[in-house]
Amino acid sequence: MVKKLVLSLALVAMTASPTLAKTIVFATDATWPPMEFVNADKQITGYAIDYMKAAGKEAGFTPEFKAVAWDGIFAGLAAGKYNAICSSVSITDERKNTMDFSTPYFKVRQALVVPVKSEAKCIEDMKGKTLGAQISTTGHFAVKKAEGVKDKSYDEVGLAFEDLYNGRIDGVVCDDPVAAQYALQNDKYKGALKIACIIEAGDEYYGIALQKGNKEDLELIDKGIKAVQEKGIDKQLLAKWIGGGK
Amino acid sequence: MTKQCKTSVDPGHVVIDVGDGAAIPKPSDKGLVSAWRLSFAGALIVLACLLYFKPDPYLRIFKFVPDGILVTFQVTVYSIALALVFGLITGLGRISRNKYVNLVASTYVEIVRGVPLLVQLFYIYYALGRLVHVPDLLAAVLSMSVCYGAYMGEVFRAGITAVPVGQTEAARSLGFNRTQTMYHVILPQAWRTILPPVGNEFIALLKDTSLVSILGVADLLRRGREYASESFQYFETFTMVAVIYLIITLILSKLVSIMEERLSHHVKR
Repeated sequence: MVKKLVLSLALVAMTASPTLAKTIVFATDATWPPMEFVNADKQITGYAIDYMKAAGKEAGFTPEFKAVAWDGIFAGLAAGKYNAICSSVSITDERKNTMDFSTPYFKVRQALVVPVKSEAKCIEDMKGKTLGAQISTTGHFAVKKAEGVKDKSYDEVGLAFEDLYNGRIDGVVCDDPVAAQYALQNDKYKGALKIACIIEAGDEYYGIALQKGNKEDLELIDKGIKAVQEKGIDKQLLAKWIGGGK
Repeated sequence: MTKQCKTSVDPGHVVIDVGDGAAIPKPSDKGLVSAWRLSFAGALIVLACLLYFKPDPYLRIFKFVPDGILVTFQVTVYSIALALVFGLITGLGRISRNKYVNLVASTYVEIVRGVPLLVQLFYIYYALGRLVHVPDLLAAVLSMSVCYGAYMGEVFRAGITAVPVGQTEAARSLGFNRTQTMYHVILPQAWRTILPPVGNEFIALLKDTSLVSILGVADLLRRGREYASESFQYFETFTMVAVIYLIITLILSKLVSIMEERLSHHVKR
């Protein structure tokens, strides 16, 4: 009898919990500074992480971040291992076929990073050269689309930059805030690498990816993002993580 | 990575021989021979059915990965060739009477066997990158052969010490010096014992080359991952990749068993 009572109490507690803040688990490939990365204290941090925390505070959900490798991050979402992906996912038509997206929270373009000595102006000058990118990112797609360029895919964009620094490849294509982080701010690479150009492929927008049909979480996240933008919190975060206006 | 692990207990002469290359279907092992036939036929049928009945996406995957298979083979063949050289030197060093040569060879084996291959790959790949600018394929080959050279050294050492002492004594008494004894008498006989485990290492190495995909080398696994991450067809792609690897290793393990058979036939007579 007591057991039953405890059980039913537990059940009541469980069903009642949604009135408290709902927890949404976000998968993130934390190798993409300054958007999301692991800091010296082994904490996942960055612009997008702070953004989602602020959105959670506004819309009433508790974001929880789970480190997941990029390669396979979408498969994990489809398998329901987490509720959403907050990992600088650019919204593309192909991706929209398999997942739903929140309102955009950040605008990016693709940047080409080359060694300082390189004379290449942009991707047109890279014919016959090898360009690196993180596997199946929009940067990788841009490299594959470029004519006469050999592509080399990496698990993490950092490995591509290391190979560029070591001279194994001729350039790296990735999102512009990340390119700026590596080429201009990183103590090791600045002075050795530079941003050659922004590739003309149109603007891209980051969105939070969710399993198709997950309306409930989508509404919460959208509400949070909207509040963050209306209150201007995103401007503060921009100043904190990316520096200055762009 | 388990390796050629030979344990012999004297009284009962128990020999446990476990390689991680592949299960070699020796004719004496009836169960394994049937298993080989079953898996080989099964793999071929699965492949044929997938390609025929579901050309989308399987045929597309099949057309996407061949250059990856080529790279896998390239890395394997170059690495094994280089590993044989490292192995011979290490094996000879390990049985050398020169204290320093022996120490260097033994330390190399000790260190390499103590570090996981994946870590070695990262280490050598990025360490090399700092010193010299080598292309990624060469860096991968160097890393793989440094690792397998140590294992190969143990194979060589075991093969050489397996040749009866009487052979050395006979050669020496006939006036051969130490070097001549080694190259004209011992090594030609040792080859027979060495070749089958080398074949086994070849298969093990082929499977381990899948690790170089982590370095961005476009091998079979990498190509598969590129296809999967773009098409989101993870299950289909990795089914295909696994079947291709399986068919390759099954063919190779059959070849090794044929080679073993020929070599041991010689002994039986």
